Order: sequence, then structure tokens, then C-alpha cells
Amino acid sequence: MNAIETRDLTRYYGVLCAVNHLTLSVDREVFALLGPNGSGKTTTVLMLTTMLHPTEGTATVCGHDVLREGEEVRRSLSYVPQDMAVDIKLTGRENALLFARLYGVTAPKDRVDELLAVMKLIDRADDLVKTYSGGMRRRLELVQALVHKPEVLFLDEPTLGLDVSARATIWEHITALKKDGMTIFVTTHYMDEADRFCDRVGIISNGSLLALDAPSSLKARLSNDVITAHIDGTFRDPGVDGITLFSFANNEASFLAENGREALPLLADAFTRAGVRVRSLALREPTLDDVFLHTVGKPEEPAGFDQTKFRTMLRRRK
Amino acid sequence: MRGVIWYIERDFLRWVRGRVAVFSALVMPAAWLIFVGLALPIRFTDNYLDFITPGILVMTMLSAGLSGGTLLMFDKILGFLNKFLALPAPREDILFGKILFVSLRGLIQATIILVIAVLIGASVYSPLQYGLTYLILFLFGVLLSAFATTLALYLEDHDSFAAVNTMISMPLFFTSSALMPYNVMPEWLRTLASLNPLSYAIDAIRAVDAGALPLVQIVSLAILGIVVTAISVQVFRRVTV
Repeated sequence: MNAIETRDLTRYYGVLCAVNHLTLSVDREVFALLGPNGSGKTTTVLMLTTMLHPTEGTATVCGHDVLREGEEVRRSLSYVPQDMAVDIKLTGRENALLFARLYGVTAPKDRVDELLAVMKLIDRADDLVKTYSGGMRRRLELVQALVHKPEVLFLDEPTLGLDVSARATIWEHITALKKDGMTIFVTTHYMDEADRFCDRVGIISNGSLLALDAPSSLKARLSNDVITAHIDGTFRDPGVDGITLFSFANNEASFLAENGREALPLLADAFTRAGVRVRSLALREPTLDDVFLHTVGKPEEPAGFDQTKFRTMLRRRK
Repeated sequence: MRGVIWYIERDFLRWVRGRVAVFSALVMPAAWLIFVGLALPIRFTDNYLDFITPGILVMTMLSAGLSGGTLLMFDKILGFLNKFLALPAPREDILFGKILFVSLRGLIQATIILVIAVLIGASVYSPLQYGLTYLILFLFGVLLSAFATTLALYLEDHDSFAAVNTMISMPLFFTSSALMPYNVMPEWLRTLASLNPLSYAIDAIRAVDAGALPLVQIVSLAILGIVVTAISVQVFRRVTV
């Protein structure tokens, strides 16, 4: 039995399909769901944590059906939303104790002390959270989430808005939890973090799962080299056979080519012929960023900004 | 139901640490008590303070109840509600915790107003009479906080809630029997006042003060409270899943 199992999980908001027939199994690993804003990441997490009913399909967490056995599902998981919701007028200990009691943990005070020590918050446990840094608040949320020893941990953008060292600390803790046999499901925007710390990633766009594998296999599948060109002024795709443009943003064009070393001079010549001024050309191995952009498409979709669609999404995400 | 206690404890700690809000909520009813209760030249009674005190107690509960509606709304906006909803504890505990906390907070504020009233010359009643007064205020508090919480969940944003709150609180107070007895009211006001739920609570407390047991009003307040709470549970369930 896998910790998380979904089959054709689907959710519509009116006519808008937020999650489209998602089939996925996750077990005892760090799994990251990657996707652009509004791609259905949070909707998926909300359905798996029983906060939102699926329109179609089924999902189980630790063998319990999210629709029929909500209470058992919630007992075996913890959910940390991206809002950083800790009470600033309470102390760290009071914040954690509230959750230990709500979960009905036996000896809540000891359990909270133990976790505060693990998360290195014990020295500041009796200070108001108002005085905590962003990284400390995030660690306090982990304490709250871990009081009842959950089997599955859902983290929505766990490192959003944190500085580099705070991010590293959070990932250290996540990795340690996985070693203890926990299943960790994260959503994130940071590709480098997904690449370094996650066992498998799923790339989701417009509600559909487009790729699902270990970061290294995804990069290997993109067996080509990546060439990035820094452009001055207007840009036109020079259109060389075997060299495909897959993204252009902030004056930086990225191309895929089977043999990068040979493609470089061809591309340089083509640019000159097309009258495009190139400041620099670079050849590198593909990163998860490239996999993402290649899978999802161009970062700025030409489709206009749909006001009603945007409002529907916003309302549901509150 | 044990979750209710922990939710109440959380809101209580947050309230007490807000400091300013603890006192600012008392200024308005205390001002009414002193500047209107002591100063208004009234002919229908020789102790207007005794007459107006039940009205001011109910007013304290009214503003406490209405302003309490924002608590659940902010929990929702700030993401706390989502975390609480992901807990295995019964989800309705969140709602019942809020309704009870807002009612109990109102009772604490009403107690301070009652002490001020006695200090400036209101009559002292028996423990049984105070007990019944508290029961009536509590039932009224549950009715009001369930109503305000439902409204806040329904409206979804703070500005419209604040607008509705100001729009209804003063008219509700002035069309009740808080300031004058029915026999000196103009005809149109008498009809309005007898329908106003504030009047049920105020008349009930006055009857208790006079030594009677206002069963009809107490039962009506209890039934109204249960009905509004049931509606509140429905709206809460609809909003949360």
C-alpha cells in the first residue's frame, strides 16, 4: 500500500478544469509537484488533505479514502499551507501546544518540548512569535505539523520567502524526516531545490501531469545540450535545422541541440546573418529548469489575462 | 468536543494580549451608562439608571457579538482556518469555539459594565436574579455571535462586514426597549420594539429585576439561538468543503 494513491483525480471549478485525471502514487520519499501558478498544485493538495471534494476520481492517503474516511485521513497526515499561519500574539510553545492538544497527543508538553529542541527553537520557546524570523516561523509550523507523528506530510511552498540559509535548514529537516520513513509531498517553484532534495518530481500544467520521474532521469531524457544566448535589441529565431528554440525571456534565448559543440558556431553564424546582436553564447548541461520550460512551454503564454478565471482561482485558494 | 476548549483558550490569549481592544470595547457602553443613564431628565421613572442598565448590558453583548464575527473571517483570510480544517478533530468545534468565546467575552465585558453601574448608584439584586440575568445575556450572546459569524462567513470580506455591522447595530439598539418603556413610545416604534430580539433580552432582564421569571422570553431567545446556530453550521460546512 502506497502512502498516497490517486486515480483519475479531477476537480472542476465551474467549467474550469483545475486538475485533470491525475493518477499518481507516492510512498516514503520526498515528492515535489512542480507547475506554474494556477496549474492545479494547491488544488491537488487540498483534495488530498480532504479540504476540497474531487469532482471525479478517487484518492487514498495511508489506505483511507479522502472522500469517505476524512477523519482517518486527517489523523495520518499534516498539512502546512503556504500562508505561514502562526499566531504572532502567542509564544512558540503556546502555538505548538495548541496543535498537540487538538490532535489529542498524550503528554503534549513533553512532545512539544522534544520537537522544539529538534527544530532548535527551545531557547526562544517562550518568546512571542512576533519576534521570530521567517525561518523560525516555518520551523515552528513544522513543530505543529509533527506533534502527532504523521505518516504523510504535505508542504505547500515550504521555502517561499525564506533566505538561503533558512531554506537549507528546512530542507535538512525534510530530508531527516524522510529517513525516518515519512512520506513528504511538497509543491514548489524552486527548481534547484526540487532537483537537489526531491526523489521524484511531477510537472503539472493546466491541471494535467506532463512528466513524472526522478530529476536526474528527467534531465537525461532531455538528452540534448542547452545553449543560451544573451541578445541585445530585437530577437528573431534564426531557424537553424536541428537547433530548437524552447524559451525566450529577459533577453535570454534557450536552444536545444543534439551536439552543442557543433551547434555553437552554426548558431553564431545564423544570428549574424539574421542581424541579431548577440552579447554572449553559453553551452551547458540541461537543468531541471530546462526540463520544466520544455515540458510546460513558454513562460509567458500569449493567452490574455482571463479575469473571471483568475477570480475563481483566487476565491478557492483562500 | 474537547477541541472547543483549546480553540477558546487560543482566542482568549490573543484577546487579552491585544490589550487596547480589551478596554476600547467598554468605552461606548460605559459612556452611555454615565452620560445618558445619569444625566437624562426623565419623568417616567425616578431611577433611570436602573431602567437603562439592562439596555446597556444587552448593548454590550450586541457590540461584542457583532464584532466577534470578524474572528473567524480573519482566521480564514490568514490561513489559520485551513490548518484547523486539516485536523482530525470535528470541524464544527472551530465554529462552536468561536460562538462560545465571543459570548463569554461579551459576558466578561458585561460584568465590568454591571460593576460600573452599581458603583454609580444602580440597585443591587439577589444572586439568583444575577444568575438569571447572566443566562439571558448568554443566550442573547450565542444568538448574536452565531448570526455575526454566519454573516462574516457569507460576506467573505472585512469591509462589507464592517459596513453591515455599523448599518445594523445602532438601528437595532434604538428600535429596542433599551431607552424607554413601551407606554411612552410612539405607536410605530412600539410595534418595531416588540419585534426586536434585543427587546426580548432587555424585557427579560427587567422582569427578573422586578422579581418575575420571564420564561417566554428565555425560551424564545433559546429557540432563536439554536435556529441561528444550526444555520451557521450549514453555512460553515458549505464554505469549508
